[in-house]
Amino acid sequence: MQFTKLGLLAGLAFGALVAATPAYAQVTLKVWSIDGVDRTGIADTFSKEFDEANDDIVVEYRAIPFDEIVNETLRAFATGNAPDIVSFDNPDFALFSSRGAMLDITDRVANSEIISKAEYFEGPLNSVTWEGKLYGLPKYTDTIGLFYNKDLFAKAGISEPPSTWAELAEDAAKLTDPANNVYGVTFSARAGEEGTFQFLPIIQMSGGGANKVNTEGAAQVLDIWKGLIDNGYASRDVLSLGQWDSTGVFNSGNAAMAISGPWEIDRMVEDAKFDWGVALLPTINEDDQKSSALGGFNWGIMANTQHPDEAFRLLEYFVEQEDRIFPEFGNLPARGDIALPVTGEAKKDAALVVFQDQLQYAQPRGPHPEWQKISKAIYDAEQQALTGQMPAMDALNQAQTTIDTIFKQ
Amino acid sequence: MSRYFSGLRDGIGFDIILVGAALLFLLALAGAPLVYNVLMSFQQVDMFTLGSLFRPAVGFDNYVAVVQQPEFWLVTRNTLIFVFGSMTGQFVLGFALALFFAQNFPGASTIRGLFLVSWVMPGLVVGGIWSLILAGDYGVLNVILRSFGIIGSNVFWKSDPNFSIWAVIIANIWLGLAFNMLLLSVGLAAIPRDLYEAAELDGANAFQRFWTITLPMMRSTIGAVLSLGLIGTLQQFDLFPALTEGGPANTSNVAGYWSWQLSFQLYDFAKGATVSVMMFLLVLFASVIYVRSTRHEVRG
Repeated sequence: MQFTKLGLLAGLAFGALVAATPAYAQVTLKVWSIDGVDRTGIADTFSKEFDEANDDIVVEYRAIPFDEIVNETLRAFATGNAPDIVSFDNPDFALFSSRGAMLDITDRVANSEIISKAEYFEGPLNSVTWEGKLYGLPKYTDTIGLFYNKDLFAKAGISEPPSTWAELAEDAAKLTDPANNVYGVTFSARAGEEGTFQFLPIIQMSGGGANKVNTEGAAQVLDIWKGLIDNGYASRDVLSLGQWDSTGVFNSGNAAMAISGPWEIDRMVEDAKFDWGVALLPTINEDDQKSSALGGFNWGIMANTQHPDEAFRLLEYFVEQEDRIFPEFGNLPARGDIALPVTGEAKKDAALVVFQDQLQYAQPRGPHPEWQKISKAIYDAEQQALTGQMPAMDALNQAQTTIDTIFKQ
Repeated sequence: MSRYFSGLRDGIGFDIILVGAALLFLLALAGAPLVYNVLMSFQQVDMFTLGSLFRPAVGFDNYVAVVQQPEFWLVTRNTLIFVFGSMTGQFVLGFALALFFAQNFPGASTIRGLFLVSWVMPGLVVGGIWSLILAGDYGVLNVILRSFGIIGSNVFWKSDPNFSIWAVIIANIWLGLAFNMLLLSVGLAAIPRDLYEAAELDGANAFQRFWTITLPMMRSTIGAVLSLGLIGTLQQFDLFPALTEGGPANTSNVAGYWSWQLSFQLYDFAKGATVSVMMFLLVLFASVIYVRSTRHEVRG
């Protein structure tokens, strides 16, 4: 009796296998992203779903660590083994799109029933655009704002978060409490992309940009920041701390303000044993134009794909699922038409509203194919000024000289 | 032809095959990348022409461009400080420890063996540990120094431009100490005991014995240790990303890390190759000393 059952099951399984094998040729799509290296993310989940739902397309997903994906793709592209779809950090995207390594999808998007270009925030969209053409789509986005400890603010008798950098410095002075190991503010001015990420908004709100960094306003804020460090209102270690570690100091109650992004919220809800809130990034003068950094990743189809139609179908599937990326993965969609669901966690919901607002002022880094060199010039200048090796304006002028040679090429 | 085969039979030709295989191996695995690297430093390298060997030649343009970088002299200075600081620390402390453990006291060899722990640990792990020890606000080192009254306020080892390179040097000395001590211990053990006994009978004091017996007898060992130390120090990479990332403002950037940064962070592969060729000349110098100091050892 048992054997007959087993035999029947085996026969059924075999039949199912035969039925599942399609009679026509299958297309294989290679997708590379950073998701799935340490935890499940957007790219690995959606790739698997699409693979299972479509018999004619096999999706081969490969997870590559953040630090290696650009190098790995460069190598693969140079040797003709590039993936069909890949995702990059937004400042890295222009490196590929400007050199014709990404597929121009302008017309495909215009004809798509699923994707609507108009719904995307301007900043993320700029980072996938090169010379008026669309070479990819934003995957998700983020930006930075000012987290502040409401309990410490109340104790110091400050009612409102600061709206200018000068005010921030005043507040930081009042909030600093060396006896209890409390710094007024913490941020990241590290020698790397994170340093640029937090400093470029200052350049932008003073009227500059990637091609013009030596503005009066930027030098002024650098002097304010240097004052924060020299007076002990901010730890000197902001020069070597990344954003995640820097905000850790805030979470433990050892800093009253922190500059960082929405990726901190979940950990803060868990770790921070005080009342906190988020405010927009301060400006230089009260009525100045606001600005903020733009983070997040982009999707792109590589130019040498053998299956552009199928790859675009997969891209459309990714876009179709975007209302799931916040509830399931905690990432912010780069589109204005997706309302974020209320989580029920009051502090988190309030913070998200501010970050959604801040996103309107977020500007991409670049886009420029040699962004990495521009970025190094910027964070080197920032660090030279903050460590007192050079006056702020001289450091920015030196960076400007380097940047001029990059833009003249 | 028959002579060749008879050579195989009597075993002489077989030697040549063995040596030839080793040479081929060296040429393919060490020679080819080296030539590729040198070639790249004279070419205009595009990120998409990485795979090809023939690219537009630019003569010495890359070298000129590297020297004109605003951080070039700072990096050169840091590299020299890093190499001499690390080597001196590793050698002096390693020699002192080797001499100490050469004394006969209970547990000497066991404790000496424990020092190997530092040597087997990966550089990134060592960097991570020292990153915590050297942290400005909550670092252990600052707490210790403060409790002894050596410093009044916290030293920001990793973020202060005056100390950043020394933060990496301290970690590197710790990392290389065991290797130096071990090699020098072997050298010390090879000195015949009766030399010291004879010297003692002649009335030589400890310093004279060290100066006239230990140092001269250790000459080739010291040469080898120093040149291996130079190579190891120039090779050091892991500690930099783990500790300072070359910052603040390049004050702890050295040639090796800079070369990596240029190639794999700024995607300027030609300049990265150029810096590494410049470094290669330094290592060549060290290798010559090493080969010379070990030359007479081979004929045993």
